Amino acid sequence: MTYSLTPDTNSARPQRVRFLRSLRRHPLGALALGLLLLLAAGAILADLLAPYDPTATDLGNSLSGPTGSHLLGTDALGRDLLSRLLFGARVSLTGTAQAVATVIAVGVPIGLLAGYLGGWVDRVAGGIIDVLLAVPGIVMLLVIVAIFGNNESVAMIALGVLGAPGMARVVRGSTIAVRNELYIKAARVSGLTTRHVLVNHVLPRVSGPIVVRASLFAGVALLVETGLGFLGFGAQPPDPSWGNMVADASQFVAIAPWMLVPSGATIALSILSFGLLGDAIRDSTAGRARGADRVRRKVAGDAKEPAATPAQPATETPDDSDALLRVRGLTVSVPAATGQADIISDVTLEIRAGETVGLVGESGCGKSMTGRAILGLLPQPVAVTGGRILFDGQDITKLGPRQLQRLRGAQIALISQEPVASLDPVFTVGHQLKEVLLRHQPGSRREIARAAVALLRDVNLREPERVMRSYPHQLSGGMAQRVAIAMALAGRPRLLVADEPTTALDVTVQAEILGLLRRLQRQTGMAVLIISHDWGVIADVCERAYVMYAGQVVEQAPVLDLFDGPRHPYSAGLLGCMPGRAARGDLLPAIGGRVPQPGSWPTGCHFSPRCPIARDDCTRDPVALNETAAGHASRCLYPLLVDEKVFSHDAR
Amino acid sequence: MPAEPLLTVTDLTVEFDSTDRRRRGQRFRAVDGVSLSLAPGETLGLVGESGSGKSTIGNAVLGLVATGPGSRIVFDGEDITQAPPKRRRALGSRIQVVFQDPYSSLNPSRTIGQTLGEPLRATGVDRRETRSRVADVLSKVDMSPDVAARYPAQFSGGQRQRIAIARALIRDPQLVILDEPTSALDLSVQAQILNLLIALRRDAHLSYLFISHDIDVVRFFSHRMAVLQHGRIVEEGDVDAVIERPREPYTRELLAAVPVADPREQRRRRESRSSVVTGSR
Repeated sequence: MTYSLTPDTNSARPQRVRFLRSLRRHPLGALALGLLLLLAAGAILADLLAPYDPTATDLGNSLSGPTGSHLLGTDALGRDLLSRLLFGARVSLTGTAQAVATVIAVGVPIGLLAGYLGGWVDRVAGGIIDVLLAVPGIVMLLVIVAIFGNNESVAMIALGVLGAPGMARVVRGSTIAVRNELYIKAARVSGLTTRHVLVNHVLPRVSGPIVVRASLFAGVALLVETGLGFLGFGAQPPDPSWGNMVADASQFVAIAPWMLVPSGATIALSILSFGLLGDAIRDSTAGRARGADRVRRKVAGDAKEPAATPAQPATETPDDSDALLRVRGLTVSVPAATGQADIISDVTLEIRAGETVGLVGESGCGKSMTGRAILGLLPQPVAVTGGRILFDGQDITKLGPRQLQRLRGAQIALISQEPVASLDPVFTVGHQLKEVLLRHQPGSRREIARAAVALLRDVNLREPERVMRSYPHQLSGGMAQRVAIAMALAGRPRLLVADEPTTALDVTVQAEILGLLRRLQRQTGMAVLIISHDWGVIADVCERAYVMYAGQVVEQAPVLDLFDGPRHPYSAGLLGCMPGRAARGDLLPAIGGRVPQPGSWPTGCHFSPRCPIARDDCTRDPVALNETAAGHASRCLYPLLVDEKVFSHDAR
Repeated sequence: MPAEPLLTVTDLTVEFDSTDRRRRGQRFRAVDGVSLSLAPGETLGLVGESGSGKSTIGNAVLGLVATGPGSRIVFDGEDITQAPPKRRRALGSRIQVVFQDPYSSLNPSRTIGQTLGEPLRATGVDRRETRSRVADVLSKVDMSPDVAARYPAQFSGGQRQRIAIARALIRDPQLVILDEPTSALDLSVQAQILNLLIALRRDAHLSYLFISHDIDVVRFFSHRMAVLQHGRIVEEGDVDAVIERPREPYTRELLAAVPVADPREQRRRRESRSSVVTGSR
């Protein structure tokens, strides 16, 4: 069975188009770019645009403000300021461009090579960079100008060389980040030359920081250029430059203040524009890195109106009032462009006190979101839009933030996949553990410390006193997960939600953590909800399990029944995908196709497009969870028989 | 086993500078005297926990890390241990790799077609020929030729891994290093990718060096396997022999730790495990 693999339709556009579009979202940046382009055009076309020769004097009209014949006024010799500004732009912008070109030409290769090659190249480049950074720039420039006479190009190129270390550092840093990407390794393995890899793979990835840096540097260069002009270097009177125009104006500032405005304002606006442009580019390149954000928006964009009648009664397993946790018809949604998109739909489950229950499924099926909802920890803007979550008779969905906080920790606790991330890196384990303990029980400092050590000993940490003094980064993954479990247990919770608790751990450590959870569960009598994608973990610790697919519970059963005779084709298919259950030399009975995205679920059975035994009526109406045996239910119109094989061995 | 092995690694050692600040200057031995060989068409599984050096072995064969003195890597009769850059680049057509992380293994700013066609263009293949070979290799991994014009961001993890496999196959290599190729994928997607890799192996008579932490996958997918611990091979042999009759205590511990998807069997093993494992770490 071959199936077509079609890419997602909401495509990410090529970068150039995205950049121009993102510039539109930064009106100031666009304005700055426009102004700079206008100035550049003015400089290039000065011969055509300037109304007068820039050195032509008109002594009858000296020191005038803006008039009809001199739009920006005149200077002391009656020269037209607009014309001088346009011709002066040639000098000032050329100087700026020379400096920027030098910064790029010198700084980028040094940074690229130092970052990519590392080793001695990096050390030599680092030395050069440090020496150059120690050179006092302005003094150096004045010396250079003095030696080379009034050659402004030399001064600006020197400025570029002095600015190159800053550029090289930025490029080196970005290059090091990119160098470790796997696609760079793959390109090297492909037999591409270092030059090819640098130019085609690394350079495009670091171009954002380069452009930002160059733009900001252009502002500096323009400032220095006009500063040198002001001091009498560079273009010599009567030829105009922006700098000597300011110098001219400063002599008459008491009697003709206007004369300072055209040149001063142009310089200020240009420098501001370079800065704003740099910011805009930085923002737009940063936005590009936020991939996850885009995914979320994409989900929202794809959403359809919620089905009109989602409220068909979920198979109310007889409302067994002694269950500690009862989730009834839970629906969780994200707001979307058109209405809302469900990410969990009509989930009903329950956990009795002291019971260990599994929630199994693949990524995107909603199992973690279900766990989050039970803890009242749904991330914004995700929200419960239907159903109830009853913990000990109390509806969690109706609690306020303060009540929820009291419930969490004391009644319901969480351990997650990344134990190190769940600990605060700046405090010791002991500090954090004691803080949690204090919240749950009063006691003297010594009593609390003793309780903390006892808890750490409880989770089989060998040297609890040493662990108390450790910072999270000093712990191995297995130790950190034990600490996280100890912290979860500090409030003596009645329900522990374990979200992929062993996924990031090695198998031998996993076995220990699972053994620990099992022992603690027995000792404390707490209920445990284990969320996992791993059938082995479910088989190891759970009594009952719920299988989720595309936001729904598709099957629930005691684990023995589930593994012996899954009644839903998805459960059977997912079990069949396990290489551990397959014969070697054969192909796996894989499920073809992909899990549909939230918001694009089929109307009928969510699994029907991938189900080998789906019939017409499977796609017509939502399918309810039907009990097939005591405690065993399947959301399937044609539940499988025991040992029924429905998946072919050639899906790939 | 056929007489002439495709790849022979002898006494491989790889050392890194210690990243621990207190032990600066000291060398950390990631791979320590590993020897192995791989016949044409054979799949050798390297299994071990994190830090066992299994990925470093792959990187050494690929020439991505420097090998220690005395190490010898012979590929198809040629000693490639210290292959000069030019020779190494030429080997790119014969030894290829698929990495674990399908997200960082494709350059986000290049189209799939650019990524796949790049090694061909760099060796002087013309544009039209490149385009047709890109389309060919995409169809081999069950993707339509028009994905060549798209960017990686538009594909799911499983689809990206297909593309990464296509990149490895475009120049018809003899050996592909598979470095945890399915670890980041969901179970059902893993099954699809494993099936694809098995079919490709059969069609093109490929040899795989299959690096994985997942013993079940290694058992299913490999002919022979080597168990690694702290940079050394602890046990090596035919997959069935190692799994059914492990000789070394570490192998037994590792096997006992893997939970099986069978609650009854798991309960039995849990009970017998407590006799295997001596104390917790």
